[in-house]
Amino acid sequence: MITLVTVKIDRVVKRFGEIVALKGVSLEIKHGELFTLLGPSGCGKTTLLRIIAGLEYPDEGRVYFDGSDVTDLKTYERGAVLVFQNYALWPHMTVYENIAYGLKIRKIPRDEIKERVKRALELVKLEGYEDRYPTQLSGGQQQRVALARALAVQPKLLLLDEPLSNLDAKLRIEMRSEIKRIQRELDITVIYVTHDQEEAMALSDRVAVMNFGVIEQVGTPREIYQRPKTKFVADFMGKNNILPAKILEIKNGRATLEVLGHRISGIPAENILGDYSDLYFSIRPEKVSLTPFEGAQAFEGRVDLVEYYGFFVEIVIKIKDVFFFVRVPDLKEPLKQGDNIKVYFNPRDVILLQE
Amino acid sequence: MNTKMATVVKKVRHRKILENIFGIPHFDLFAIVSYVIPLAYIFIFLIVPLAEMLKIAFTYNGAFSLHWFKSIFSQEFYISPKPQGSLYVDTPQYIYVEGLDFGVILNSLIVAMFVTLLATLIGVTLAYVMYRYTFPGKSIFRVLLIVPLLMTPFVNAYVVKLIFRENGIFNWILHDLIGILPKPIRIDGLVGVMIAQAIAYYPIVYLNTYASFVNIDPSLEEQAENLGSRGFKLLRTITLPLALPGIAAGATLTFIFSLEDLGAPIAFHSASIAKKLITYQIYDKFLSETGYRSPEIAALAIILLALSLLAFALIRKYVSLRQYAMMSKGGRWYVRTVKPKWWQYVIIYTIVLPLVLFTITPQIGVILLAFSKEWSRTPYPRGFTLQHISQIALDPSVRRYVINSITYAFTAILIIVVISVMASYVSNRFRGVLSPIVEALTVFPLAVPGIVIAIGYFYFFASITPKTSVLNPLSVSFNPGPILIIAYSIRRMPFTARSIYAGIQQVHASLEEAAMNLGSTRWRAVMGILVPLIAMNVLGGAMLSFVYAMSETSVSITIGSLEMSKAPMTAYMRDLIVSAAGSAHMAAALGFILIAVQISAIILSTIITKQRYAFIGIT
Repeated sequence: MITLVTVKIDRVVKRFGEIVALKGVSLEIKHGELFTLLGPSGCGKTTLLRIIAGLEYPDEGRVYFDGSDVTDLKTYERGAVLVFQNYALWPHMTVYENIAYGLKIRKIPRDEIKERVKRALELVKLEGYEDRYPTQLSGGQQQRVALARALAVQPKLLLLDEPLSNLDAKLRIEMRSEIKRIQRELDITVIYVTHDQEEAMALSDRVAVMNFGVIEQVGTPREIYQRPKTKFVADFMGKNNILPAKILEIKNGRATLEVLGHRISGIPAENILGDYSDLYFSIRPEKVSLTPFEGAQAFEGRVDLVEYYGFFVEIVIKIKDVFFFVRVPDLKEPLKQGDNIKVYFNPRDVILLQE
Repeated sequence: MNTKMATVVKKVRHRKILENIFGIPHFDLFAIVSYVIPLAYIFIFLIVPLAEMLKIAFTYNGAFSLHWFKSIFSQEFYISPKPQGSLYVDTPQYIYVEGLDFGVILNSLIVAMFVTLLATLIGVTLAYVMYRYTFPGKSIFRVLLIVPLLMTPFVNAYVVKLIFRENGIFNWILHDLIGILPKPIRIDGLVGVMIAQAIAYYPIVYLNTYASFVNIDPSLEEQAENLGSRGFKLLRTITLPLALPGIAAGATLTFIFSLEDLGAPIAFHSASIAKKLITYQIYDKFLSETGYRSPEIAALAIILLALSLLAFALIRKYVSLRQYAMMSKGGRWYVRTVKPKWWQYVIIYTIVLPLVLFTITPQIGVILLAFSKEWSRTPYPRGFTLQHISQIALDPSVRRYVINSITYAFTAILIIVVISVMASYVSNRFRGVLSPIVEALTVFPLAVPGIVIAIGYFYFFASITPKTSVLNPLSVSFNPGPILIIAYSIRRMPFTARSIYAGIQQVHASLEEAAMNLGSTRWRAVMGILVPLIAMNVLGGAMLSFVYAMSETSVSITIGSLEMSKAPMTAYMRDLIVSAAGSAHMAAALGFILIAVQISAIILSTIITKQRYAFIGIT
């Protein structure tokens, strides 16, 4: 029987010698949720995942599954199954033996093992590969076997450590839909680690963005993309224009700023996250337009570079030696380097952030 | 609430202690046992005997004293900066070369240094030729280069002595046939020891260097060539510096092996200057003063140990500082070879080939000696006979030595494998205070000269066992078997431990973690996942340890000869070599058995592990 599990992480601290990998991290992960730990390499996300798996132990803080403290349980007592980044398939065992391993340890009868290996392989669409050895499989197939091996034991909690990072771009997108489909089908709680923000957004119910051993923000992909709470999150999630800004005045719930020598007004005060000093102005490139509209604010600069991406065009504009990015669906007229250009945006799309 | 908090705090504190000492986060019986057993075994059977010897060497009239060391250093017999004797003696029939006598300690150092120099020169040159060039006959070279590794204690050096007699094959060719020598040269004494050792040990440098060359990422050389470097400049600035750790490791091992060698001095002992080496002196005094815990022997052994340890410590430090040859990542690479230029062909076939052929003459000589009736007055042996070989098979009094050796070596290997797997596992997988200590201890025996272990064991077992016990070397009912097994297991452990350690390094820790994460205990993950994956390394290392245990001399001819009915074959070979002429044939026949065992082991490990060589290294 698969039982759903909630995970609570309470003020977890982990040090490796002088380095503090996790600086008091707390999190709650709900039943049946696909939860992603997202952050650059070295941010502590894999360490946190290994602590949940029971492969590392926190120096301080506790870990709870369904309200019971599992901090002192060994990895083989926890039932939180990890799919390793390098897959960790045993090269001396066949696909069948790899997947059956966890079942044999659980002393499941032979016939049932056969049945469950078969089902696990069906789930990852690798029927008929039982007798292959891992070295005879492609990277994507190895990845599926690793997943099947974890799923075969019907884990309470599935942990995925950058499972797609060794695959090529096309396969990565295919596999991430697969993972989502399997998670829905089995209805299990999944904690997913990645450094790829696009992957995190496409896949997750909720995301925790981590940096330097600290969780910067937890929320749905939409919340995190649209309302980043810190400069780091705004910068890390997708492309963003982040510029130093100064508040000139706030009147009737609207702020007026100075950004790169431009006076920008009409920004809703609720978009100011943090104190009123040392602020950064941020706006997404796709929220900027080349045509004026009612209530728009504007920047002026010179065209530096135009890059064609297919479904959008990116224009790099130099405003007072600072690069400013604009993404528009297409260009009506060609732009040349050095052309003067004026770009427009809605002040409600501006968010003011702190470091 | 408070008590609950207290238990949590206590648990965390326990965990911290376990983590600091063992590098394990939880109490884990298997992990702790895997630490304790190797530590205890090496501590009891290596550190304690050495400590016992230290105590004896530093005691005079019941108190701590440097007396014995002062006494040694003040005697001209041990250190004589003004050499005695002359470099050569011009007799009417031949020129006699045996070396100058600088006193026992300096002699040992000078011999070891010359041997290291010579072996490094030959070894590095051959390694470079084999690494860089393709030429007809290269595969024959490759086989020939393994031959000098085949060890037949005493007999190898004895054959070198035969070759360099005034009527030996060396003078027969260069004086009688070609005539480039105006007078025959007879090489004996310390110079003879030097040549015998250099020939025997250069393959250690060769193999370490060759392995280093092959491990260089070709793109490093390619980048240098791409930037305009080539030929000798490329060798000097890129290739050699990258291989330097391997070369240094091989050279240091050679230095230590030469320093601790007892076989060549015994084979050359008829020239009394060959006796003036530290190992021989310890051995000689051990034989004449058995039953007496001589502080002078202990002090001499400590000096030998100190010299060897110093070399070992320096190389460990150096190699650990320069672990870059293997740094680059990437797939399996090819070895970059080129065709030699015409003058390089000339060098390969007129200098390198004869050199290699010369270095395998001891092994050829051993086989000729084993199957010949007589080889004393002539340059080559006379009369073919199977008498010696068949005597080993048929005469129970000879056969038992072979059986003893196999029994002791095999039992030692079982101990070695168990301890090496445990020690390599914990030192590789955990990061506790003890992890590097365990790792260092498994390699440490390489630095301890065999004769030092022999003396240490003699004192140790004589003092801890009851006077009449079979384990007491002073007892009339003494059985050397158990002590020899322990000695072999300690002395030959580094080969297996290194091989297993390297194997575990190749296996990513996540493979065991995945098993444990799926519910397997650590014991089950190690036995079911790790051990099968490193089986080839275990086997390769065990075979190497086995052949080296079979040919062990120092402990075998000291403690082993205390009761000849239980003695190993090397003890009997020593008796044969030092007794009247003629018995050398029997010793050679036993040497032939050793060669056969070694060749089978090499072939087996090549077939099974698909590695080209089982080789000796400390890196």
